[in-house]
Amino acid sequence: MATEGRRDTGGMVVAAIFIFVGGLAVWDSLDYTDADSFVFPRTIAAAMIVFSLALIGWNLARPVAPEPAAPGSTPRRVGLVVAMLAVALSMPYTGFLIAGLGAFAAITALAMYDPWTRGRLLLYPLVGAAIVFGFYVLFTKVLLVPLPVGRFFQG
Amino acid sequence: MQASVGYLLEALTPFHVLLALGGVIAGTVVGSLPGLTATMAVAVLVPITFTMEPAAALILMGAIYTGAIYGGAYAAILLNTPGTPSAIATTFDGYPMAKRGDGDLAITLACLASVCGGLVGALFLLSLAPPLANVALAFGPVEYFWLAILGLTLIAALSQGNLLKGLVGACFGLLLSCVGVAEISADVRLTFGSQNLLGGIEVVSALIGLYCIPVLIDLVATPDRHLKVDQDVSRGFRLTEALRISWRGKFNLARSSVIGTLVGILPGAGGSIAGLVAYSEARRVARDNSRFGKGAPEGVQATESANNATVGGGFIPTLVLGIPGTPPDAVILGALLIQGVKTGPNLFTEQGSIVYVFIWGLLIATVLMLPTGLLIGRYAYRSIVAVPKAMLVPTVAFMTLIGTYAIRNSVSDVVIMILLGAIGWLLGRFGFSASPIVLGLILGSIAEQGFVQGWTIGAATENLTGQFFGRPIAIGILLFILVSLFSPLLMRRLRPRAGVPGGN
Repeated sequence: MATEGRRDTGGMVVAAIFIFVGGLAVWDSLDYTDADSFVFPRTIAAAMIVFSLALIGWNLARPVAPEPAAPGSTPRRVGLVVAMLAVALSMPYTGFLIAGLGAFAAITALAMYDPWTRGRLLLYPLVGAAIVFGFYVLFTKVLLVPLPVGRFFQG
Repeated sequence: MQASVGYLLEALTPFHVLLALGGVIAGTVVGSLPGLTATMAVAVLVPITFTMEPAAALILMGAIYTGAIYGGAYAAILLNTPGTPSAIATTFDGYPMAKRGDGDLAITLACLASVCGGLVGALFLLSLAPPLANVALAFGPVEYFWLAILGLTLIAALSQGNLLKGLVGACFGLLLSCVGVAEISADVRLTFGSQNLLGGIEVVSALIGLYCIPVLIDLVATPDRHLKVDQDVSRGFRLTEALRISWRGKFNLARSSVIGTLVGILPGAGGSIAGLVAYSEARRVARDNSRFGKGAPEGVQATESANNATVGGGFIPTLVLGIPGTPPDAVILGALLIQGVKTGPNLFTEQGSIVYVFIWGLLIATVLMLPTGLLIGRYAYRSIVAVPKAMLVPTVAFMTLIGTYAIRNSVSDVVIMILLGAIGWLLGRFGFSASPIVLGLILGSIAEQGFVQGWTIGAATENLTGQFFGRPIAIGILLFILVSLFSPLLMRRLRPRAGVPGGN
């Protein structure tokens, strides 16, 4: 769907980033000692640069409509990623169980659009705790996955 | 014939049927959870089989495997997150169907298609295993390289909107597959000094991140319901409707099942390529292919029949050549070796009682997948629809965290998964689909191995061009690549001249 005068600027910026990433990969491959190590990534990086340049050229020659803006709350989006990252990074210190409970609580708050009634205030934390404990038991006792205990709780 | 009936009767003993049923249920449940793959389902449950007779052990492992491949469709359809890599292409039409309120129909269609594909794969295994295994031997490193590139060009061509963006994404995925310590030379590549990247980017955690996190990011941003709820909630399995659609798409099912079986016999190729090739073919031959990617039932049928057909197909090189066709086959092969079963060309003659009882058991497990799959699928659909968003989002997020950690017991994998998810969401905003990146990551090692070996042989024989472009099978695959890349462009150019209306 071509629209006159409008360019996919975002797509071109991403393509430019990919050119940079490709350049970075080629630069990194200069240090490899063995041809077996560099022949593939160098070829692929070169192909990525060529395709990205072609994408930019194509967009300049034939303007196409950019992707529509994403509707919804950006703070909540960022909040979700930050909450998940915080949980992942705190896991070795607090242990998986506490980190998981924290993640569940934070993400529930982020995903909540309905009013917090008394019933929900009681039910949601209980269900959340049951899910976290259930999976914790499944993974540690049945599947024997050694989930982090947490440095704070180790002797 | 008499022997065959004897094997069938042995496979039908209550113990074997119970194993098949239990295996299918366990596999379906495990496969439906993002992060828990078919390989993991088989690997976790392998120790149970050590005390069993070889045939019983094989039936249980085969049933788990086939159930897990089907189970991957649930999360693909209902959450846009492939439960297993085999279900990547199921998201293309399954999730749009679920979003418009047809998730129950999509799941029933997926179940019927999986049973069909599973039966075709098992029948090929029963009747044509030794000759088909020789096909796999005809594939050299260069052919594997081109096969991987075919998979990537197919998915790039399927990328909504822009082929170049798909190709850039595929290259990015291939580069991501190079991160970490190189297999042959032990050079540390693309880590830029980070210890966390030394182990490379784990495929399943990347898959979870790139597919699941963007969905969660969008779910959390708006108060809209996660799936459309139809007014008529008591419409059952929609089995009659699904059977009618399946009958209408019988050629699609048959073609996709055969494609799945053939791709399955190629060691390492696996269900993800099979699903994509079948999907691409279904779209190519469809009368109205503009519906694909927007909730076309034929898309779900093609991918689900193909990926379940790889189960039977993958067992062909595993049993006949001792070369595992897919990663779960490698686990099963290991379990067989522990049991003292010697795989190889003589297996079918020397230990026919084990192999044929197993193949009949696999057929029985596939048939049992119909009732169990429908029941579990309906429960999964109703649960996902009924759960409030404020409970669904944290539950899925928690499952991604624990599932990713469990793969290698690594916090780094979890962090990489989340970051890749955020990058995937941003790229998605600018029209770069996640699928080419994920497939590039999955196929990276096959592509690199084939490329490097082909390069080395070509350089040694001073015939690089002949090595890559002169072998008959390689030329055939190369032609497919060119067709997949340029046929949409060519069709667009030809359409107005031919006067076909509605070309887009």
